[in-house]
Amino acid sequence: MNLLLTDRPLTVSLPEGWEMVDLSQQTIAPCLGCFGCWTKTPGRCVLRDDAVAIYPRIAKSSRVLYVSAVVFGGYDVPMKTILERAIPIQKPYIRLLDGETHHVQRDVAPKDADIVAYGADTQEERDLFRRLVERNAKNMNFTAVRVHYTTMDQLDETVGEVLAQ
Amino acid sequence: MSLLILNGSPRAPRSNSKRYAEAFCRYWRGTVETENLLRGDVNALCAKAGEADQVLLVFPLYADGLPTVLLSFLKDWTRSMGEKKPTVSVLINCGFYEPEQNRVAVEMVRLFCKQTGCPFGSVLAIGSGEAILDTPFRFLVRRKLRKLAGAMAHGRAVSLQCTMPISKGMFLRASTTYWTRYGQRFGRTAAELDTMEIEEGT
Repeated sequence: MNLLLTDRPLTVSLPEGWEMVDLSQQTIAPCLGCFGCWTKTPGRCVLRDDAVAIYPRIAKSSRVLYVSAVVFGGYDVPMKTILERAIPIQKPYIRLLDGETHHVQRDVAPKDADIVAYGADTQEERDLFRRLVERNAKNMNFTAVRVHYTTMDQLDETVGEVLAQ
Repeated sequence: MSLLILNGSPRAPRSNSKRYAEAFCRYWRGTVETENLLRGDVNALCAKAGEADQVLLVFPLYADGLPTVLLSFLKDWTRSMGEKKPTVSVLINCGFYEPEQNRVAVEMVRLFCKQTGCPFGSVLAIGSGEAILDTPFRFLVRRKLRKLAGAMAHGRAVSLQCTMPISKGMFLRASTTYWTRYGQRFGRTAAELDTMEIEEGT
């Protein structure tokens, strides 16, 4: 399964095997930080909104394409919200990965990831965003990840090119 | 010198960030006010932040970055920021052993400061922040909080960090015990916490 998560509507043709979720059309509350998905109902978020249909698809996907605006060198609110709500796919328990402590994954497919980022106007912000994505790779089971910078005007075109790769 | 502490935790009223902020206040000699960003009045919070000489952002690392509640506030504050630019400092904690895992989030706040013209102040980055306050090593955190408060009071910018002075192997064992006991409070076994299932069964 391949999953495209986007924070704004896109006009692109999806190749076979891809699904798209437009986060702007979903109702997703911020994570409560309650640790319920780790300690009360392991693997299930206590908030029963649209996120509960999305994080299992993130877990199952072996290719992901995340499309997000960049704010302060990180994901803008819609993408950040779903990434925070996806912690049920991890266990509370900690392991060592490359000598660093990270959470153990539940049944999460290793992922080949592409991130299409728009709105990062300076090299400094792009460099910081790339550092963030490199951190994500360790915590989100990315085996490979590529960051593609673009503008909002060029978004459909850039996403189309990435999907065609 | 007036200080506004903003708690950016998604569980602000019962957060570790609240405990860190309270511990910090023991060493702060000036005027201080603390507000939770969670469910706060954004306009009032932005106005308060704009009046303070210094702002201390206290928050946990979330998915390698700023928690959404803090990110949303910083966006709102950017839009409404006036002429006065408070110095912004950071008190961040993560549940991982390495305080260095907080660095990207700290840099995000630094970039916010650069984009808005606020001076960037001091940093205390805490590793093993979920548990350290309930261990004998809490004195290490308090020592760094005192240094942070002193630096901020004197207008010095420092970058501090701390974690438990134990091996990573010991940390792994301690964290396993911590989470297993956490689950037991809700009648969950270690095997249940360890499930591979996602959204299947309960």
